[in-house]
Amino acid sequence: MSDEFAQFQEAFFEEAAEHLAIVEEGLLALEQYPKDLELLAKIFRSAHSIKGASGMFGFNAVTQFTHKMETLLDLLRNGEKAVSPPIADLLLKSTDCLKALIEAVKSGGAVDDEVVQRLTAELASASGAQPPAVPQKQSVAVSPQSASQERSYLIKWTPPEWLFQRGLDPLQVLKELNGFGDLSSVTLDMSRVPDLAEIDPEKCYLSWELQLLTGKDQKTIESVFEFVHEDSTLSIEEIRSQESGVRSNAAYDSIPSITPHPSSLRPQEDGGPKPLGTILVESGVVSPAVLEQALSQQKRVGEILVEQKAVTPRQLEQALNTQRQQEAASHTKKTDTTSIRVDTAKIDKLINLVGELVITQSMLSDLGSRFEIKQLPVLLERVAQLERNTREIQERVMGIRMLPIGTAFSRFPRLVRDLSTKAGKKIQLVLSGEETELDKTVIESIGDPLTHLVRNSADHGLEPPEERLDNNKSEVGTIRLNAFHEGGSICITVEDDGRGLSRDKIIAKAIKQGLIGENEKLSDDQIWPLIFRPGFSTAEKVTDVSGRGVGMDVVKRNIEALGGTVSIKTVTGKGTTFTLKLPLTLAIIEGMTVRVGKETYIVPLLSILESIQPKAGTIKTVVGKGELINVRGTYLPMIRMYEVFILEPEYTNPMKSILLILETEGERVAVMVDEILGQQQVVIKSMEQNFRKVEGIAGATILGDGTVGFILDVRGLLEIARQGTPVSAVA
Amino acid sequence: MAAAALETATKELNQQIGLTTDGSQFLTFNLGEELYGVDILRVQEIKGYTAVTKIPNTPSHIKGVLNLRGTIVPIIELRTKFNMPTIDYTAFTVIIVVVVRDKVMGLVVDAVSDVLNIDKKDIQPPPQFGAKVDVSFLNGIGKSNDKLVALLDMDRLLLDDEMQDGTKAEKAA
Repeated sequence: MSDEFAQFQEAFFEEAAEHLAIVEEGLLALEQYPKDLELLAKIFRSAHSIKGASGMFGFNAVTQFTHKMETLLDLLRNGEKAVSPPIADLLLKSTDCLKALIEAVKSGGAVDDEVVQRLTAELASASGAQPPAVPQKQSVAVSPQSASQERSYLIKWTPPEWLFQRGLDPLQVLKELNGFGDLSSVTLDMSRVPDLAEIDPEKCYLSWELQLLTGKDQKTIESVFEFVHEDSTLSIEEIRSQESGVRSNAAYDSIPSITPHPSSLRPQEDGGPKPLGTILVESGVVSPAVLEQALSQQKRVGEILVEQKAVTPRQLEQALNTQRQQEAASHTKKTDTTSIRVDTAKIDKLINLVGELVITQSMLSDLGSRFEIKQLPVLLERVAQLERNTREIQERVMGIRMLPIGTAFSRFPRLVRDLSTKAGKKIQLVLSGEETELDKTVIESIGDPLTHLVRNSADHGLEPPEERLDNNKSEVGTIRLNAFHEGGSICITVEDDGRGLSRDKIIAKAIKQGLIGENEKLSDDQIWPLIFRPGFSTAEKVTDVSGRGVGMDVVKRNIEALGGTVSIKTVTGKGTTFTLKLPLTLAIIEGMTVRVGKETYIVPLLSILESIQPKAGTIKTVVGKGELINVRGTYLPMIRMYEVFILEPEYTNPMKSILLILETEGERVAVMVDEILGQQQVVIKSMEQNFRKVEGIAGATILGDGTVGFILDVRGLLEIARQGTPVSAVA
Repeated sequence: MAAAALETATKELNQQIGLTTDGSQFLTFNLGEELYGVDILRVQEIKGYTAVTKIPNTPSHIKGVLNLRGTIVPIIELRTKFNMPTIDYTAFTVIIVVVVRDKVMGLVVDAVSDVLNIDKKDIQPPPQFGAKVDVSFLNGIGKSNDKLVALLDMDRLLLDDEMQDGTKAEKAA
């Protein structure tokens, strides 16, 4: 497949995803406003676009399925049918199925044919059409040819040139064929049409390729061509490929013994000849068991070659490795391309800024070529302008990666709807702050954690309707998703008005798991984070939604991997609020550059509370070693950075150095450094790309002088300090 | 067309000067008196030695990291890696930047020597010294005009090393 074509396909998948989102959103809204024709028209348009585009790329399974959906939607739109909950449900399920179908073409995976067939049948019957011959799993092995089921035919027809002269109309033929069943694809070949100057209007230069899904047999189809048969080239073939359509698979399902496992018996995908084994089994010459046995004796080409000493096992191994790599490579290529859609206004603004930058640059170089010292103020002014431009461009470029968080929220209305039906609760979802923008990578990675939180709220947080009424609450529970900016970070809250976390239950569970002692006195702030421990769930019963204790720890881990934090607020009987605090972007952080000896480190500004110069007598030790510093009445553990990272410091006396008070996961520590150099934005560079993760270091960056500086991982630093001997320094 | 013509021309030229392009070309470098070789296809570039930033708590043969046009590249000192005595860096000290399974790394060596063309028949399997001397990172011993070239197995040398550190770190943690 050519690159260009692949590129268009990429665009198709993107568009299809957008249309699917519109369809789903529309259907959900339709449940509330079943009479909204505007909405129906919108859904219909999107479905129609998917159908059209998929047909263009030859994704017939998608086209056919969408066509069925469209038929039903059309009836709804014309008011011939009313939107009822079963219909809405069916359409939603069909949307899921369509998603799976598109995903299957995209990644080359398989689709559950049974689901597709069932939905196709349901759609057809909902549309009031005659239910198509639904494939039944017959127990008798029936030869597909003799079955009165619908079959798919590929018809290639090149009519004779005299067609028009005799007053025959090819359209009539096509119409007649359509009357037999479903003409799923019609391709017109115009390659023989000459230039306009040479065209003979009485001659027919066209030929067609048709795909017909019908219950009629081949003879009947041939009879349509009776009048035009003379001099025309006509071929009618029955096709049986997966691609050709969903229902052609029916032929396979009717052979019960073939479907189970032997992969060698799978039908060929592109309509090519069937494997010998399949034919033998179908014609009843051998039983599937015999064939299986025979196949198991068959040797791989490689083994035979080794036996014949044509290759050494090592060479073979190498060749196999190459094969595997190629397979893996082709697979990753399929799934790995991502792209982003950017508002044109953003790009226009960026282009303007680049224009300004170019002007500033030319002003500077003009000044540089004939510079005199008295022009220094002018130079400084222009450099300041350059700085302004650069900063603005940086912001705008980062802005390109910014997407409204609404894209991450959009999946929740559906999720909550499904959860509420499943759990038998009435749940209302309120979204706000959808327009808040944040980095694309962040948006992609918070989807799963948010889903966990919403599920948890719906399943554990909110009570069943009866219980709510007993507690003088409205019958309908509310889950609120909100996003807003706060300082340099973004906050997302998941709030429910349910029963709240139970302090007693959590304590009981924690004692049972040995996380806390029996009589330990803990504050609320110490208790709530316990639910983030792996395997911790207080749900009385495990549902298929949640309660297995996996999830909350994953939420915490994912959010922390993004450099964010999770906090909990809960009031018993009133509800629970989870607050996720995330950095706006992952690529740039605001940092404080500090010096230890000759080395420069960057400390993330977010984790710095304050910096102090210790006074004499404020530092105490316990057991002779553990150092504590008194900061306004609280003793904080002190870490000497040069000890942890084995550096040569300028000062070993804390009175001469600077202490940074850092906070991580609610813990506060004092870290001793030689000097604070300043505050700046740094671009995070990965250490893992060419090396590996280094304990205590979150990443690297390039400093003003071109050398590499490390960004401190406060948590990691703490861990190393606690272990005593630094990791692998012994090696 | 032009590209194909260029390719044949290059081939001919290479043959004339005694270079072939069948992959058995090695960039050789010195560590003391000894000569080592790396597969030339692995070499990205050679650059003069510049100061590196030391990575805390890593084995001593990992000199540190360097900013190579915006990417962070770890630098490994081969002398330390091979347990050879360290020497002061001179004007000849260079960093050979290699690519090993998509990872870019730098090797500090005493000096680069030459690009040698070693025939397959002139390469013998690595010697066995038992536990006394670790030569597991050698691919073989190449001969070229009375010179002995120890051919390095880059995957072994750099990635094994990295894995080991990784597991060590995990164990300690």
